Amino acid sequence: MTGTSPKLSVSDFVALTNQTLDYAYPHVEVEGEVSSFKINQGKFVFFDIKDAGASVGCFMMLFQLRVPVEDGMKVIITAQPKLTQWGKFSLTVRAIRPSGEGSLKKSFELLKAKLDNEGLFAQDRKRLLPTIPQHIAVISSTQAAGYADFVKILNDRFGGVKIDVAHVQVQGADAPDQIIRALKYFNEQEVLPEIIVIIRGGGSADDLSAFNDELLVREIAASRIPTLVGVGHEIDESLADLAADVSAATPSNAAQIIVPDRQEMIRSVRYRVQSLLPRIVQIIDEQKTQIRTRLVRALDSYEYQVERTHEQFYRLTHVLIQLDPNVVLRRGYALVRGEPKVGSSIEIETHGAIIGAKVERYDKK
Amino acid sequence: MTKNDKTIQEKITELDAYVAWFDSDDFTLEAALEKFKVAEALAKEIEVDLNALKNDIQVVKQKFDTEVE
Repeated sequence: MTGTSPKLSVSDFVALTNQTLDYAYPHVEVEGEVSSFKINQGKFVFFDIKDAGASVGCFMMLFQLRVPVEDGMKVIITAQPKLTQWGKFSLTVRAIRPSGEGSLKKSFELLKAKLDNEGLFAQDRKRLLPTIPQHIAVISSTQAAGYADFVKILNDRFGGVKIDVAHVQVQGADAPDQIIRALKYFNEQEVLPEIIVIIRGGGSADDLSAFNDELLVREIAASRIPTLVGVGHEIDESLADLAADVSAATPSNAAQIIVPDRQEMIRSVRYRVQSLLPRIVQIIDEQKTQIRTRLVRALDSYEYQVERTHEQFYRLTHVLIQLDPNVVLRRGYALVRGEPKVGSSIEIETHGAIIGAKVERYDKK
Repeated sequence: MTKNDKTIQEKITELDAYVAWFDSDDFTLEAALEKFKVAEALAKEIEVDLNALKNDIQVVKQKFDTEVE
């Protein structure tokens, strides 16, 4: 080198190096395995990221750590290279996310256990959604196929609903923060929607990892407005699903849960009205049967009374016949008329004759 | 929405009341036919209202890609 090279102080050299690094690498994404992971003073995170051939020290603030990380986990970091004032090269990490199926699963399980332990997924926290909402909020990418499916099914099934849509990224490093901002936005409105729906179609585990972000999951659980999350396909389960009041298998399923099917409602209304006519006919038939039964009973009663009266008449007639003096005379008795004293004339009437006679003797019994 | 200002939900509730009347002790054959006609008209109104409903979808102007100051 010639003597024209500028002489720099150590501090200037470090500053110039950092300026050069900023220019060349405003940010880099590095994939590797975590080792020597530690948290100092409850706010500073230190670890190394390494592969078979190299290792670099990393630093980040704890609040930026949105997923659980531990040694051995494969991650992708978004970072800025930096030379410290002590001459040590390190990566200042802005975001970290698990990489590869194993690490994603491990991170998912660690965070799930942590949040579950805090009660974020408890069934008794779940709120009911309104039966027929009039105002809903949707958080999704308006360009996503899942969103189009959701809108189609919603419009097919029902109408008259005011739908406010927050267009956000639903995958990638920025997705969780954008969804969080949208959640806060709707929760701060003067007139609150009745439901917040978060939807995204299917994708790889990495695509859907935004919905396992700790801060996003906490924001969903803290929402004043009941939440419905419909992310991915039937088999996908995210922590956002678990924290939501209601979880839908897919965006289409979310639309089915939110609103009733108007065609089903029409069928039900028709059926209910049509079932009233048979009801009227049935009541008329019942009343006819009751009237017939009463008529038969009245007729029976009338016949009984007539028969009873006849019987009484015959009985009385018989008694009267028995009381007829002629009947008594026919049985051999006689009827005596006149004063019963010795010497007086009396008349004796028998069945066949009337006899005049005189009383010769009168003895009291 | 058809002639009156009732919501669909209110009309369905009203229809429920008519249907319930047919099973109640208040039922009389004299009133049944009139009530049936009203219920039938109400059901038609509900059907027309349901088919006419359109959703109002608005994408909010707020951007969420950066923190709002």
